[in-house]
Amino acid sequence: MKFFDNPEIRDGDSLNAFYKKLLDQVPDLIFKMIWKEDDLYSIVFASETVNEIYEITVDQFKFQTDVFFRERIFTEDQGAFIDKLEESKNNLTKWDHRFRVQLPKKGLRWLRVMANPERKEDGSVSFYARISDITDQVEQEEQLRLSDERFQFALKAASEGIWDWDMSTNIVYFSAQLMKILGKKEKEAYYPNTFWISRIHPDDMDNYQKVKGDHLKKKTTTYESIYRILTDSGKYRWVLSRGRTVKFDAKGRPVRAMGTLKDINQLKEKEIELGNTINIIVSQNNRLNNFAHIVSHNLRSHASNLKMLLDLIKTANEKEREEMLQHLESISDGLTITISHLKELVEIQTEIKTVKEKLNLRHYLKNILNILHNEIKKHGVTIEINIPLDVTVDYNPAYLESILLNFTTNAIKYSSPERQPMLSYDFEIIDGKKALSVSDNGLGIDLKKHGNSLFGMYKTFHKNQNARGIGLFITKNQVEAMGGKIEVVSELNKGTTFKIYFNEED
Amino acid sequence: MKKISSLYVIDDDKIYHFLLKNLFKQNGIDAVSTFFCNGYDAIEHMKGNNTEDVLPDLILLDVNMPIMDGWQFLEEFTATANDFAKMPVIYMISSSNNDVDINKAKEFEGAVKGYFLKPICKEDLQKIFVL
Repeated sequence: MKFFDNPEIRDGDSLNAFYKKLLDQVPDLIFKMIWKEDDLYSIVFASETVNEIYEITVDQFKFQTDVFFRERIFTEDQGAFIDKLEESKNNLTKWDHRFRVQLPKKGLRWLRVMANPERKEDGSVSFYARISDITDQVEQEEQLRLSDERFQFALKAASEGIWDWDMSTNIVYFSAQLMKILGKKEKEAYYPNTFWISRIHPDDMDNYQKVKGDHLKKKTTTYESIYRILTDSGKYRWVLSRGRTVKFDAKGRPVRAMGTLKDINQLKEKEIELGNTINIIVSQNNRLNNFAHIVSHNLRSHASNLKMLLDLIKTANEKEREEMLQHLESISDGLTITISHLKELVEIQTEIKTVKEKLNLRHYLKNILNILHNEIKKHGVTIEINIPLDVTVDYNPAYLESILLNFTTNAIKYSSPERQPMLSYDFEIIDGKKALSVSDNGLGIDLKKHGNSLFGMYKTFHKNQNARGIGLFITKNQVEAMGGKIEVVSELNKGTTFKIYFNEED
Repeated sequence: MKKISSLYVIDDDKIYHFLLKNLFKQNGIDAVSTFFCNGYDAIEHMKGNNTEDVLPDLILLDVNMPIMDGWQFLEEFTATANDFAKMPVIYMISSSNNDVDINKAKEFEGAVKGYFLKPICKEDLQKIFVL
């Protein structure tokens, strides 16, 4: 009989010696246990390593059974230890069980027993068993579990999602939290990169690609991008994505990138809202500045005239004085007009007269033209009206009168002496908004020079009551107070067209 | 300093024309004064004369005017003038004392000699006419 072609093995003793040598190399405790039908068991073999693993001698292990089952094993683990053993014995399934022992020298250790049961003809069950010390492994597992728990907790607490992009397969891992941001079931998932890109808002795509490209080309050390992503509800949400490449291949090309994704929708919407509010405040501030300017400039010009006149009167003779007193009256009239203009502006700004009514546009225009009948006749103005009979606008009556009156008188006042004045009123609907154009063939305005200041008070608000500045400024304020706007097209010596958009909802 | 024998007043306020006339008279200024209501009228007038010999010695220029304001007048006027030696002395007269106008006056430093705030008084005239 040959054993493994090994000359060392000649008989049973040498075989035993051979196996003992081999077993000595195994750090685990090897033993055989026989469980008889009458529930008596015996340990028939145990390797020397029992000294290390159990801190007892082989004999103690074999014969003082209480040491194995009771004394060493943690009290709480003893029940499960025996249950598992019985289960394995009865079902002849593998016995694989972790348990804790308290050793005199090493203290608390985690052990794992593994054994395959075999039923013998006499009904007994033999266990060929192995016990290993798995304390280090258990501790590592515990550390890992704790850190994973903390990680999961941090993820949830931070409301940030995690993504992990494998560029070799182009598959992206999305954490449960990230799926939740998308409005999906809160469960981690893997999708191709295109799944994500197809959900980015088209308006944000260019910037997203640029920022990502810059990072992949190593122009930036970290990647950070804010964009809108389509959620399952069909709405876009603002998100902040941050990350960086974590792995490069041998040629230095990026192969893996990781990062976080945060839902910043509320923040971003507030920011946008704030931006809008700032715009409103800026425009209000500009109007106030303008207004302050008018007040100081216009009142001042009257006041300075008054002072000069009074100075002159002191040294004037009787005849001169009489003439000067007449001018005093003119100054007083001018001052009254200015103050009434200012009052009108204040009223618009404080929205005293914003009551709206349904007004027939054509009807109102006819009324204005009746009022201006003499002027129109005097200048020989030809009038053309292209407004359907039934057009109405939701407007403040006083404003509508004032606006029509102002554009009409302006057109007459600035008509060209070189040709017969023509005035045309054309109604149209532009993008669902009602608009009226007032066109003339008059002097025109050089919009390159005056465009910015046309409706502002700064340059065009003048002392004499015939100036067009104050009128346009008031008109503009009225139109805007009604939620509309004014556009102007003009060419020098050809004519001017003012287009009044009524309110947005029309 | 050349004696001022002719001047333009460019200001849209007709009452101011009257006031200035009287102020000149009371202070013994007998320069020939021509009054315009805006820059455009003044430019047109000079174009009509079509010779630099008739340029005034002095221009008192208002800032805020319709049609063509003081700054636009300056742009146009300095662009067409080809001999700066013959340029009139120009003073800006404004009823607003604000930074925008004062900074703007600096832009025209070469052309504008000074900036006065209305009302113009005797002391101002003394500075302008070097009485």
